[in-house]
Amino acid sequence: MLPDSLLIYIVLAPGFAALTGVFHKWIGDRVVMAITTGVVLSCGALSLYQLFAYVAGLGGATEAVHHASGYDAYLTAGAEAAAVELKQRVITLMPWIHVGDFQANWAIRVDTLSIVMMAVITGVSGLVHLYSWGYMSEDPHKSRFFAYLSLFTFMMLMLVVADNFIQLFFGWEGVGLASYLLIGFWYTKKAPNDASIKAFVTNRVGDFGLALGIMAVFFMFRSVEFGPVLDAIRTNAVITPYAFAEALPARESVIVFFGERVYALELIGILLFIGAMGKSAQFFLHVWLPDAMEGPTPVSALIHAATMVTAGVYLVCLLSPIYEYTFYASGMVALVGAVTALYAATVGMAQNDIKRVIAYSTCSQLGYMFFAAGVGAYEAAMFHLFTHAFFKALLFLGAGSVIHGMHHEQDMRRMGGLAKFMPLTYAAMMIGTIAIIGLGIPHTKFGFSGFFSKDAILESSYAGVMASVSFAQLAFWFGLVAAFLTSFYSWRLIYMTFHGPAPHEAHGHDAHAHDAHGHDAHAHDDHAHDVHGHGHDHKPHESPLVMLIPLALLSLGAMFAGVYFYDAFVDAKNETFWAGAIYRAAENHVLHDRHNVPEWVLWAPLVVTIAGFLIATFTYSFNRGIGARVAASGGPLHALFSNKWYFDEIYQATLVRGSAFLGNIFWKADKKIIDGIGPDGMAKLASMSSRGLSRMHTGYLYHYAFVIIGAVIVFGAILWLRSGGAG
Amino acid sequence: MGGFPILSVMTFLPLAGALLVMLVRAATAGSSKGESTAQSKKAVLLAAVIISAATFVASVAAFFAFDRSATGYQLVEQYAWYGPISYKLGVDGLSLSLVMLTTFLTPICLLASWNSIDKRVTEYVIAFLVLETFMIGVFVALDLVLFYIFFEAGLIPMFLIVGIWGGKDRVYAAFKFFLYTLIGSLLMLIAMVYMILAAGSADFEVLEKFAFAPEIQTWLWLAFIASFAVKLPMWPVHTWLPDAHVQAPTAGSVILAGVLLKMGGYGMLRFSLPMFPDASAMFQPFMFALAVIAIVYTSLVAWRQTDMKKLIAYSSVAHMGFVTLGIFAFNEIGVQGAIFQMLSHGLISGALFLIVGVVYDRMHTREIAAYGGLVSRMPIYASFFMLFTMANVGLPGTSGFVGEILTMVGGFQAATWAAAGAALGVIFSAVYMLTLYRRTVFGEITNPELNDIKDMNLVEWICIAPLAALTILFGIAPNLIFNLTDSSTTRILSLMAGGQ
Repeated sequence: MLPDSLLIYIVLAPGFAALTGVFHKWIGDRVVMAITTGVVLSCGALSLYQLFAYVAGLGGATEAVHHASGYDAYLTAGAEAAAVELKQRVITLMPWIHVGDFQANWAIRVDTLSIVMMAVITGVSGLVHLYSWGYMSEDPHKSRFFAYLSLFTFMMLMLVVADNFIQLFFGWEGVGLASYLLIGFWYTKKAPNDASIKAFVTNRVGDFGLALGIMAVFFMFRSVEFGPVLDAIRTNAVITPYAFAEALPARESVIVFFGERVYALELIGILLFIGAMGKSAQFFLHVWLPDAMEGPTPVSALIHAATMVTAGVYLVCLLSPIYEYTFYASGMVALVGAVTALYAATVGMAQNDIKRVIAYSTCSQLGYMFFAAGVGAYEAAMFHLFTHAFFKALLFLGAGSVIHGMHHEQDMRRMGGLAKFMPLTYAAMMIGTIAIIGLGIPHTKFGFSGFFSKDAILESSYAGVMASVSFAQLAFWFGLVAAFLTSFYSWRLIYMTFHGPAPHEAHGHDAHAHDAHGHDAHAHDDHAHDVHGHGHDHKPHESPLVMLIPLALLSLGAMFAGVYFYDAFVDAKNETFWAGAIYRAAENHVLHDRHNVPEWVLWAPLVVTIAGFLIATFTYSFNRGIGARVAASGGPLHALFSNKWYFDEIYQATLVRGSAFLGNIFWKADKKIIDGIGPDGMAKLASMSSRGLSRMHTGYLYHYAFVIIGAVIVFGAILWLRSGGAG
Repeated sequence: MGGFPILSVMTFLPLAGALLVMLVRAATAGSSKGESTAQSKKAVLLAAVIISAATFVASVAAFFAFDRSATGYQLVEQYAWYGPISYKLGVDGLSLSLVMLTTFLTPICLLASWNSIDKRVTEYVIAFLVLETFMIGVFVALDLVLFYIFFEAGLIPMFLIVGIWGGKDRVYAAFKFFLYTLIGSLLMLIAMVYMILAAGSADFEVLEKFAFAPEIQTWLWLAFIASFAVKLPMWPVHTWLPDAHVQAPTAGSVILAGVLLKMGGYGMLRFSLPMFPDASAMFQPFMFALAVIAIVYTSLVAWRQTDMKKLIAYSSVAHMGFVTLGIFAFNEIGVQGAIFQMLSHGLISGALFLIVGVVYDRMHTREIAAYGGLVSRMPIYASFFMLFTMANVGLPGTSGFVGEILTMVGGFQAATWAAAGAALGVIFSAVYMLTLYRRTVFGEITNPELNDIKDMNLVEWICIAPLAALTILFGIAPNLIFNLTDSSTTRILSLMAGGQ
């Protein structure tokens, strides 16, 4: 591990770099860009060095131990005699909130989880900063953009190095803020504004669960620090919750929530997972992620693919002690993850916006990570998080390169044949695609990074099936079908974008009517017209070097991160690598048992992947018209997929309209009822007549609504009192 | 008690200043007519700013004279007055923190009036300085009668500020404000008379130890809450607040939201909990229900508003709901959170009203629809507005977060449903604040009158920047406040426990 001073530098420096954005008027855009990029790149170099040094330091001798005595002893002896001690260092920076038992510090927690996350965050962020020099070169608000990027990096780092729930919440909401600011970066336009608010509010719905979960944690454990809380669960220590006279072991403890006695860990696990669902765009709370594509593409790569959206996965892995001792909560993680993996893949097949395809793909891949964690293969989830960061950032930045080269065109139907115009981008996108579909040969080390992590997940899920883990069956099959769909939509993207005829040669790009990118007079769109001195030449072009270098480096990661880190993350060395940062219960063997799954389980992903490739090739390469004809024929299934299963429409009709309706009723109640009885009524009291009494019988809806709400409250209060007032 | 009467000096310094302004005005009334009026107005305002700044310095001196580790009231001054009544001042951490909020906000309010008030400036600053004395007096009085005098007298200058310097419907708003608060206070007065007769003293320290019979407590508690609920305000007696805010001049809104509302929370902590502990415990579910309704109901109403000030006023009611929740959790975390929330809300809502005032002074409208696209003309304004928007939605790292999370954590220990209901408000606050921000600041400029709008001037900077700094400082290092309020919180809770 790095010395304290460097760790503090990695975490805090991006925050200070972001502050330079405040002074851009005086120091100029270039200085802000140079400082933020330089700082984040240096943090990235340090973090990656730390990760590589750590992995190199593991040595090669652990394999024998792992398969023979040590590992099994660890499994059977249970947590109390854990063979691997938790390797962790906490640097306390300063106290934050200290009230009674509520003790939260500003701190930097260094363990394997945070080492991995730091490398991912600063590594990708550094490259995205660099890439943005090219991508945002014509934007008039470069300083603001770079400051936001660095702010995001800082917040994300604060999230992953937190040693308590409150700092985690700080980072959690902080990345939400940065995401909000960056989605709405082009703030004069309607679509980005709508999308940014939607993202923030949807995340807040998740945070509602997260906050309640944190309250429940504190209620049970009298602490908000990870150390004491997770230790109590690991050792099943006796805890004394606030409103209980009797003390109970942590894993069996019960909480009274809304008058119901429930297992505390189940409740905490479910509430915290609701937060994870919001941040990681899982089913029901996923609606913000596709819209978030209104932000500049480097943002999509950094925040909405590689880092922020994986925070939920990180949370579940970090809190593995909680999920290890729950049935419903971990089942919910597996179920929601599996459903999301499949759902998002179905929608991804039917999208025509290049970024939205990749966004749904992200959503789907996050689903894989969650169901892996849900069945108990946290290491596999983290491994997929790690490899996914490379290839998904690569795909997004590649898509950005395409969009840049196409003068801000995003509709794939207007693309095609780009391979000859932008060969390097094409190569990068090919690498990303092969990585995401997880191409590789079982039993060998030949494969791109997605192969190692995705197959580890599917095999672990099948091991979960054999061990009768709840929802493992569903997870495995959904994951397998999603793997097929992933291959299909990924190749569809490649064919529609890079192969076949080039429609952009036939007509100018002004013809398109993508309303989100309508050509109102704005600097961003000026960009589309005037960049690179092309004038009226709308021919696609390859991107500048500053954008290609990040693509090249990420391509290396997409190719080799899997094979290089496989042993450490999920195989021979995984015990010493994780060093207790991820916890497994004594009876959880799924990661180990994935080596015992039937042979067909190893080959099934390869088969479905090839099948997806063949069908995509058939429909989008050999017979390019078929896909369009299916879309045009408007079958109900296609309509369902292309309309994202109508989630937006349903939410709009119920939640949004419902809240607005209530708000209007309450507002009228203020005027008519409260004021009517109160001051206005008193004024009238003096001149009260029979007319005054008849006001009581007005048939207005809001009067009745108000009376009903009042009655509910009174009734609830009575019930509450009768139940003894507890909980 | 001996020693320098720092609290009396601090309390009556603004009043003395007001008298001084009055005398100078009377002396120069004949001489200054035509050309010097604009200048003399500025001179009067500047004098008032200096007086209130001196008051702030006095409160800082009191802060340094205050021993944070000791419990009980400090810097006490007591003189016999009449029978059971005495002139008694003193502070604990709770009252000192609120005093400092008052003395900090008042100069900012006066300064914020620099460009917006141009009629009857002398009377205006006199009203403001007198108001400051009464506000400080409420927090430092340790005698029921003295407290009541300050508490009631404060109504009059505020009534005048709304009624004279307010907007179009100022008379209706002022009337409503007065009616609500007066009825609440009358009930409190009756209860006070009973208490003095029963306990034989109006001294807080005597009353805190005097155990009222439980059935008596119920009535006393109700009478006091009637007053505090109006002040805070709690649902359903909150409807005076939006009207008063909309009609009040900017500075009036700042002081109303920043300080006057806090008297409600202060009263609950000073009277309801320690003096009527059994009744407080009995009414806990009732208060939780009202708090949750306030948070959810007013947040939804805030979302539907078309007037910027009304929106922020409703948001204030919602944020005060967290105060109620924290206080009636009856635990250290909840009460500390409630005190912190009061201070934090004083800064944030004060700043938000100033933010509205900045564009109101330029455009003379508070209609959200009249704005849009301000960011392209007023980037600095947009940045400050964003900061306070985020603080108001309780983003961690700002002071808004600390109060909200602690009151909810405290409330959770008493009733999970109350904490869950309050947490809903966290979602809605994001909805209404981001909608407000987006409609006023983001987007294209559609109103041609906004084309030449100027960014914040120096005076506005001086008013808003300190609030921004404190919002972040207390968000990152809230222990600065907890250290101050810790011992008084412990004391209030132990008094309460002792009574049960």
